[in-house]
Order: sequence, then C-alpha cells, then structure tokens
Amino acid sequence: MTARRTRIFWMAFAVILALLIVMPFGLPEFWRRFLTEILIWGLLAMSSDILIGYTGMVSFGHSAFFGLGMYGAAAALLTTRPPSLWLALLYGLIAAATVAAFVAYFSTRLRDIYFAITTLIFSQIFYVIIFTWTDATGGENGLAFSRPALAIPGLFSLPFTTLTLYWFVLAVVTGSYLVLRRITRSPFGMVLQSIRENEARTRAIGYPVERYKIVAVMFSGLFAGLAGVLYAIQNRFAAPDFVFFVVSGEAVIYNIMGGVGTLVGPIVGAAAFLLLREGLSRLFPYLASVASQHGLALPGLAEFPYLIPLGIIFIAIVIFMPQGLLGFARRRLNE
Amino acid sequence: MLEEFLIQTINGIVVGMILALVASGLTLIFGIMDVVNFAHGELFMLGAYVGVVTLAGTGSFWLALLVATLVVAALGAAIHVTTLRPLLGRDPLNTILVTFGISLVLQNYALWQFGPVARKINEPFTGHFNLFYLEYPWYRLVIALLSAAIIAGLWLFLKYSTYGVWIRATTQDRLMAQAMGIPVPRLLTIVFAIGSGMAAASGVLFGPLVGVNHAMGLDWVLKAFIVVVVGGMGNLVGSIAASIFISLTESYASLWVSPSQAIIVSFVVLILTLLIRPTGLFVPTPK
Amino acid sequence: MTAADHSEALVRVEDIHTYYGKSHILHGVSLEVRRGEIVGLLGRNGVGKSTTLKAIMGLVHPTRGEVLLEGQSLGHLPAHRVARLGIGYVPEDRRIFRLLTVSENLRTGLDGRGVSEARKKELLEMVFDFFPVLAERRNQAGGTLSGGEQQMLAIARAMMLEPKIILLDEPTEGLMPRMVSQIRHIIHVLRREGVAVLLVEQNVPLTLETSERVYFMEKGQVRHQAAASELHADHEVVHKYLGV
Repeated sequence: MTARRTRIFWMAFAVILALLIVMPFGLPEFWRRFLTEILIWGLLAMSSDILIGYTGMVSFGHSAFFGLGMYGAAAALLTTRPPSLWLALLYGLIAAATVAAFVAYFSTRLRDIYFAITTLIFSQIFYVIIFTWTDATGGENGLAFSRPALAIPGLFSLPFTTLTLYWFVLAVVTGSYLVLRRITRSPFGMVLQSIRENEARTRAIGYPVERYKIVAVMFSGLFAGLAGVLYAIQNRFAAPDFVFFVVSGEAVIYNIMGGVGTLVGPIVGAAAFLLLREGLSRLFPYLASVASQHGLALPGLAEFPYLIPLGIIFIAIVIFMPQGLLGFARRRLNE
Repeated sequence: MLEEFLIQTINGIVVGMILALVASGLTLIFGIMDVVNFAHGELFMLGAYVGVVTLAGTGSFWLALLVATLVVAALGAAIHVTTLRPLLGRDPLNTILVTFGISLVLQNYALWQFGPVARKINEPFTGHFNLFYLEYPWYRLVIALLSAAIIAGLWLFLKYSTYGVWIRATTQDRLMAQAMGIPVPRLLTIVFAIGSGMAAASGVLFGPLVGVNHAMGLDWVLKAFIVVVVGGMGNLVGSIAASIFISLTESYASLWVSPSQAIIVSFVVLILTLLIRPTGLFVPTPK
Repeated sequence: MTAADHSEALVRVEDIHTYYGKSHILHGVSLEVRRGEIVGLLGRNGVGKSTTLKAIMGLVHPTRGEVLLEGQSLGHLPAHRVARLGIGYVPEDRRIFRLLTVSENLRTGLDGRGVSEARKKELLEMVFDFFPVLAERRNQAGGTLSGGEQQMLAIARAMMLEPKIILLDEPTEGLMPRMVSQIRHIIHVLRREGVAVLLVEQNVPLTLETSERVYFMEKGQVRHQAAASELHADHEVVHKYLGV
C-alpha cells in the first residue's frame, strides 16, 4: 500500500470510528442495543472471513465456536463470585479455542465442500451434546446469569449500561479488526492467501499447508468465540439455539452479502442483513394494518415470514453479485 | 436382550432404507451436478406436507405419495432452472450458499403456510404382526420395501434408459457429453427434479412414523450428509450401504442412550471415517 | 457426392479470436472445409489447432469472428446443439466414457427423441461393421480397451451423430505404427461415406497422404494453405512451419 493510500485508510478509519462512537447519542435505547448486536454479529462474520475470504475455506461450523464462547462465559459467570468480565472472556476464549483446535485438526484434512460439510457436522455434534447434557448446560432452556460489571479489581467497577456496553463492544470489535487486519497482512496471512489462490503450488514451495490451515481455523474460532462471549454478556444467557448450524449459515450470509476478503465487508453484510430483517419484520404487519384500514382482509400477511424475502435477496446476491455489496459498490464507484 | 437387539435391527433397516432413499437423491445430485443440496431436507419436508394436503383432499395415501413426488419434482426443476443453472461453471461452493438460501425460504414458507403444529399422515393400513412382545406394524416393513423398490427403479433407469446413459456419461465427462449432443443443462434439471421427487417420496413414506412439521427436514439433511460423506461422495452403492450401517448403529445405540443422543454415534462414525481414511473415502475433488 | 457439393463450404471459420483467461489464444483464424473434403491442420504445439476445433464445436466461444455451418452462423450455440447440427468431435485425449460399456459409449450419440429404434439399430450395426473389434467388445467398459481401440471408439462414437464433418484431433498420438495405418484406413472410410474431416495431426506424412488440402498455423493464425499434392514436392513449406 502506498503511503498516500495508507493515510487515506487511517483517516477513513478514524472518521468511521468517531461516527460509531457518537452514533448512539442520537438513538433510542432499542437502536443502541441493535447497534451493539450488529457489531457482535459483525465480529462473528469477520472471524469467518479469515477462512472464507483469505484462505478460501467456507466454514459452516462457526456456531460451535460462537456457542462455546457463550457457554464458556456462562461457566465463568455462574461459578465465580463476584462474576468477572475478564474471567468470562478468558473462559469463553479457552472453550472456543479448544473446540476450534479439535475441529481444525479433523476438518482441515478436507477441502472445499468437504470442509464445509465437515465443519457443519462438527458444530452439530456440539449442538447435540449441549442440547442433551441438561445437568451442565440447562439443555433446551440454556443458562441465564447476571451481567458482570466493567471492573478492574482494586481500581474501579462500573455496572454496564446500554451505552457503556456498546462502547465496550465497539472497543473489542475495533481491536479485533485491527488484529485481524494485521494478521491478514503478516507473512502468515500472505501464506493463507496463497493457499486460497493455489494450494498445490503453496505446498510445492514448501509451506506446511495443513498446519497453516489449522492455525487459521483456530484464529478464526477464537474471534468467533469472542463474539459469543460478547453476545452472552449482552443478553445474559447462553442457549443451544446459538450452537445450531443456522447461526453458522447466517455468518456465511453476512460474508457473502458484504463481500468476502475485506474484513469490513462482513460487518457491512451483518448490518445490512439485520436492518433488512428488522425492516421486513415490521413491514408485513404494517402492510396488513394498512390493508385492513381499507377494508381488505389479507389473512396471513401480518405473519408473513421476513426470512422469505431475505432468503431470496441472499440467493440473488450469490448469483448476481458474487463480490457482495461492498465489492459491488466499489466497482460502481470505480466506473 | 436378544429380542430387543433383533427389534432394533429391524428398526435400523427400516429407517436405513428411508435414509438411503433421501441420501441417494442427494448423492445423485452431488455426483452428477457437483451441487451440494442444502435444501434437500426441505424438499423432504415439503413432500410430506403435499402428502398431508393431498391425503386430506382425496383420502388416498398412494395418490398422496404420487402427487407429492410429482409436485416436488416440478418444484425441484423450477429451483434448478432459476437458481442453480446460472451457477454452472462456478465454484461448487456457490451451490451450498444458494441452496442454503432456498432451505431458509422453503422452511419459512412451510411454517407460515402450515403453522407450527405437527400434522399427521395416517398409515395406509394398520395391520400388525407379532414380533416377540411387540405388535410390529406391517407398514414399517412396507416402507422399507417401497424405498428399496424406488432405489431399484432409479438404478434400472440409470442402467438402461437413454437418459440413464446420458446421465452417467455426463457424470464422467461433462464437456465430452456436451460434444456428443447430450443436452447437459436440461439433463441437470431432470436430475435435480428426480432427486427432489425422491426426497418428497421419502417424506410421505416417513410421515406416518413421526408427524410432519416444518423443521423435520433438518435432521434428515444432516444425516444424509453424513451418509453421503461416509459412503463416498457421489457413490450410490456406497451411500446405500452407509445409510443402513449408520441407521443400524444408531438403533443399537438407542438400546443404551436416548434417541436424541444416538445421533452422536453417527457423528462418531463420521469422525472415525475421516480419521482412518481422511481422503480415500471421497471421489477426487472435481476440478 | 456430386461436384457441386464439393465446391460449397460446409464449415467456414471467419477471423475468430479466443481468450483463455487473459491470454489471447487465437488471433483471427480463418479456414474452410468443403462437403466431404479431408482437410489437414498442421502446426507446432501450442499454436491453437486444438482451440480452433473447440471453437468450431462450441466448446469455446470466440470473442470476435464467427463459425458458419452451411452458411448459417453458429453464434454462441452450446456444444450439444452444434453436435446435433452434424459436427462430430474426437478430442485429443479421446475422452471416451471409461466406466460406460462400448455400446453405451456409442449410445450417448443417439438422439433421445426423433430417431426411431430401427434407425438406432441400423446406425449401431453400421458402426460395428466399420469397427469389428468394437463389436467384439461391445459389453466391455470403455476404460479397459487398448489405446488404439479407444481411438476407434472415439471416432465410432462421433459417427453415431451421423455428422457432416468430424473434427479429428491428433488421432495417432501415442499409437503404435500398426494402429496408425488403421487410422489411415478409418479416414478413407469416412471419405468414402462422404463425411468431411478436419484433421489436426503431428504425423505429417499421414496428413499429406489423406488430406486434399492443408492449412498451416503459427501463433494463433493460419499462415499458409496448399493442396496436399503440391506439398509432397515442396518440403520447404513443411519445414518452415513445422521444423521437420
């Protein structure tokens, strides 16, 4: 990157970060929480971009890492008194990293769609274990706990408000972004990209491709776990639904919608997806009420599932905009 | 104990044959088209629902089976033409993404249309025979036989019909098949329709055993994926053998653990397979 | 076959350009094959001979220029439609369907509709007449045949389309000398049946002997054409383009 482009990048980074810091001031409570969710899902999506966009491996098993992050945090918050934010982070990351190491060891032996299916099935193993091991995990009901305070023992302790939690999440996500960006630009990241471009050649040059892939999956799983911890802290529960593969599928959707291989794209994709979901889930009840005001009874319209139009939009993006929204916008800007 | 073991053996084979029916559709679609069909379970589920509706309207189970197969086959053809044909020549990973989107749409459509309460398909006949201390329903054996018959039909079709020869030729060398005048795009649509119809038929056949709801496809698609991987992707005989093997191990496991945990056994089978023959199980990655 | 037939272009390639990714493979190739004519296409490796055949077949679509069959542009017609219009393709590496039996390999070329069962049988018998070895091995998997037999199968398979022209890509590659004379014989059979042939070969004597006209390609273009009979005397041209 030339010096000029670097300068432009950091200026844009600073402006966007500043906007994100002040954004919640103008927003009601609901949207503040919504913004926090976007950041958390964005972090999950960004973590899987390391695999999809940089290494060319599509994981359908990120729900396992995310979910284990949640349950790890739950374990820390339920067993230690007083509940500690840092222990929650530590436990969550350890849980996610352990699972990631396990999954990585097996799944990286396979490529392409075989890798995708294997990660999917692995995540389902953890789902079934968590779902049926009721004594430890609460089974179907999951685990509820109280939110820890933002505290450094001996220094200060602040209970989280919606606003401070948002800033905390923003800080973690921004930090993660910078770390991931660093990783993708490091020699390690270059090897990953060369695996994506031509695996056989990378191996022929002498790189131990499998080991690189294992480490990539572990990094990716670690950040997915971090997102899980944040989600657990925000919502004060851990539930098996979040280990279910549909969450992994959504992470892939965010990536594809936003544009893979950009780190920022997946966050944009998550934002677009969640906003669309919010908008569509309000649109149909609204249309139904408008219709009924005009004497039109449209049974079922109010309950029309937002995932149908959302699914169709996603399919259209895969077919017509393989580079995602960001790639599409970038090309438009360049034209 | 021996009695229970035998009962579980029969159960395992019955479920294994239905699984084989689901998985052979998936295998057919993968082996020939390089399409990983995430929506296969939803086609199974929609087949069951079309069966429910037809059964309610006509009272005939067999008509319901036929109508469900045809309707879902037509739906499969439409899905293929609109969403998968444009992806011809692109990375097969795109097909997972698109079919994942399709499964979201279909599942939510079913939830909206039919509601969350499970529907029932009545067995076409209710006779039992004595199996040790159990009254074992004849219907279960009939399902196994019917599934076997449908798979045999598929095999004969692939072996002897002109389309069968074309399909096998296309599997081996798509470009050369085209150069021989085989209308590959149309053929792929037909294959997708056949696989969809088979999924729908399994849905109707299996309906009486569990009840029909919008999420019933998920378990099946996962199991079918395991079967397809363990059996060697795109290998029809392998996936039939793997279906029965996996269903049997799950049946036996359910002697000791709850059925919902028994699925972990198939996961373990999968992991062991990957460990022992990490690459040998698969046909070479098509490139 | 009448004289009038012979004068009319069956296949005409007009100034086609193709790309593979970013590399420019064909730089404006033009040539024509008349009805029932055997035409050779010579040139060193990598000059675009195989790509020319693929472009005629519709397996590669030219970005510029066009291919005409009997005066009609083939446009971007997919290969399976081109095959049905009467162009048979025998690729370089034969690409027979290895897991299909010999009969099944041949059956791939039969139209599912339109052609009557009787006509299908007739075609099969005709092809088995030309290639008795294949008749003997009709229920054997294609992959188990010898190289020469596979080459015969590849040509026989193309003949099932009842083609007006067969594109023959290096039929003698990797074959024993005894089999080369078989190929020569097959080309004579094709000529007798009135099937035109566009022959890409490394074997210059075979090409000069079987062809009526010969094109020479260099760097993605046709640089020279001549009647085969003139070339027997004119070794200089052959040497210039082929280095032999």
